[in-house]
Amino acid sequence: MVLEAVWTGTPVRMGAPGLLDHRRLLTLLMVGAVILSVVGIDWGSPLFHTGGGGAARNFLAALFPPELSPSFLGLALAASWQTLAFAVAGITLAIVLGLPLGVIASGSVFDAGQSSIAPIAAARFFLAAIRSIHELVWAVLFVAAFGLSSLTAILALALPYAGILGRIYADLFNNVPQEPLQALRASGASPFRVFLYGRLPMALPDAIGYTFYRFECAIRAAAIMSFVGIRGLGYEIQLSLNDLLFGQVWTLMLFLVALVLVVDRWSSTLRRSLIT
Amino acid sequence: MEQHAETELDNVTTQTDKSGVSPTSHPISFARISAIGFLVLMVFSWGYLLVGSNSGLADFSSSETWDNASRFVQELAGVNSPVRPAFLNRDRWFETGKLAYQTLAMSVLAIGLAGIAVLATFLPGARNVGNGDLGGAYSPAWCLLYYLVRAVFAFTRAVPELVWALLLVFFLSPGIVAGALALALHNYGVLGKLSSEVVENLDPTPAKALKRAGAGNLQMLLYGVVPQALPHFVTYLLYRWEVVIRTTVVVGFVSAGGLGRELRLSLSFFHYTEVFQIIIWYLILVITVDLLAAWLRRLARLE
Repeated sequence: MVLEAVWTGTPVRMGAPGLLDHRRLLTLLMVGAVILSVVGIDWGSPLFHTGGGGAARNFLAALFPPELSPSFLGLALAASWQTLAFAVAGITLAIVLGLPLGVIASGSVFDAGQSSIAPIAAARFFLAAIRSIHELVWAVLFVAAFGLSSLTAILALALPYAGILGRIYADLFNNVPQEPLQALRASGASPFRVFLYGRLPMALPDAIGYTFYRFECAIRAAAIMSFVGIRGLGYEIQLSLNDLLFGQVWTLMLFLVALVLVVDRWSSTLRRSLIT
Repeated sequence: MEQHAETELDNVTTQTDKSGVSPTSHPISFARISAIGFLVLMVFSWGYLLVGSNSGLADFSSSETWDNASRFVQELAGVNSPVRPAFLNRDRWFETGKLAYQTLAMSVLAIGLAGIAVLATFLPGARNVGNGDLGGAYSPAWCLLYYLVRAVFAFTRAVPELVWALLLVFFLSPGIVAGALALALHNYGVLGKLSSEVVENLDPTPAKALKRAGAGNLQMLLYGVVPQALPHFVTYLLYRWEVVIRTTVVVGFVSAGGLGRELRLSLSFFHYTEVFQIIIWYLILVITVDLLAAWLRRLARLE
């Protein structure tokens, strides 16, 4: 593991000669970039707009307490379910799309030879292309093309997630220990059999762990699908903000935080149980 | 992006490494319950979304939808466009290029703000700083601070950038700065959690040795912990920058800055060749930042 190697034993070059050793160059570039961005921005208007300070105080005061009426809690619960449903649907479609692409991109099911380079490169390029565009940009494009519907949002969510999952799966299939694979090959297994009985089971715990981590991200992504008109926590937050009902906004945000934290805890417990 | 995925993966696997003891006595059964639970969730979710009146199943099976979609793609490409397509207009390239630069500046400002805030708080966010595992004394105040900082990390992380942006434009003048702050808030939570976990996972020997040699608590942290953690922090910062540049465009939708605002305007005026041009700039930004971040990460490596 990369980090392991860094923590243990890699010698640190002390007092590297020259003004521009790597670390100094890096520091210079990063500080320079931040200064350039601060200078390059139009600071024309004051940071707080008129009445903004008052609104901020009202907003903070609304936390004590947030909106806790049973009817609103029911609404927040329903919105949480909608967001969760979109996240689950999006991530399942992403797995369905990403897994075969990842298998092709890993190149592990092909016989060694020149003929396998084209499908590997094509799969890798396709995965890179779909993950470079943010899910919400996919969503506005799809809504313009297909109209607004649940499937449009699921597809917009699934594409970039398939791109990232496919790439991770490909890496995991390639990074498994080699000895068991050699044993399988020696006993005459085809590359596909080696994949099915060697690579897939060995990569599975890490693949499941990473997929669950992405599932947590998908909940946030599903919440912001409200920008194209999809219902859920983001949608209700926008409605409550428009009515200046800050107490409701807090309740909805706390539901979102709780949903994310529950999935986060589920995924970390599952990862630990898969490793041991 | 290539590196980013690896770093993220490393983080996920190191998180699993850090506790050898499983919380459940029957690890297989927890995995099985999770699998069944997820399958049930899957069935209910797909059922709920596809049975609803606006599922889109009817849309995707009608030829009219696909005609519309192909017309949309043609309009993006400027086929039969009555006006000159934006991507053949040189001035338009300069205008949108300026917006692309603003978007880039916004992403750098966002990740810079998040980085500075994380540098100030990631040490109290690590459990082993306060509880004496690094050779210092057990300090109840630091332990309390640990829970506080971790709660702030969890909250800022769980709320997506766009929701932060929606909230902030209520108080702040819409613009690049409001958008950068929204991006910074979410990434503060993400980076803070990652950086604190780096401190919790690092080798405590140098810190303990310094402590035994008579170093104060601050010296122990500055010379025993920070030098080990800093390269990881920079790596995480750079890979988050790759995520931020993708999201900056989206935050521009609400906070009225850069390419995002222009994308929204062009879409609402049905200027689809402009939409196409903005997406080209967006891809240029994404690829540039991916390459730059990969190069900078190589500089950050220890060897």
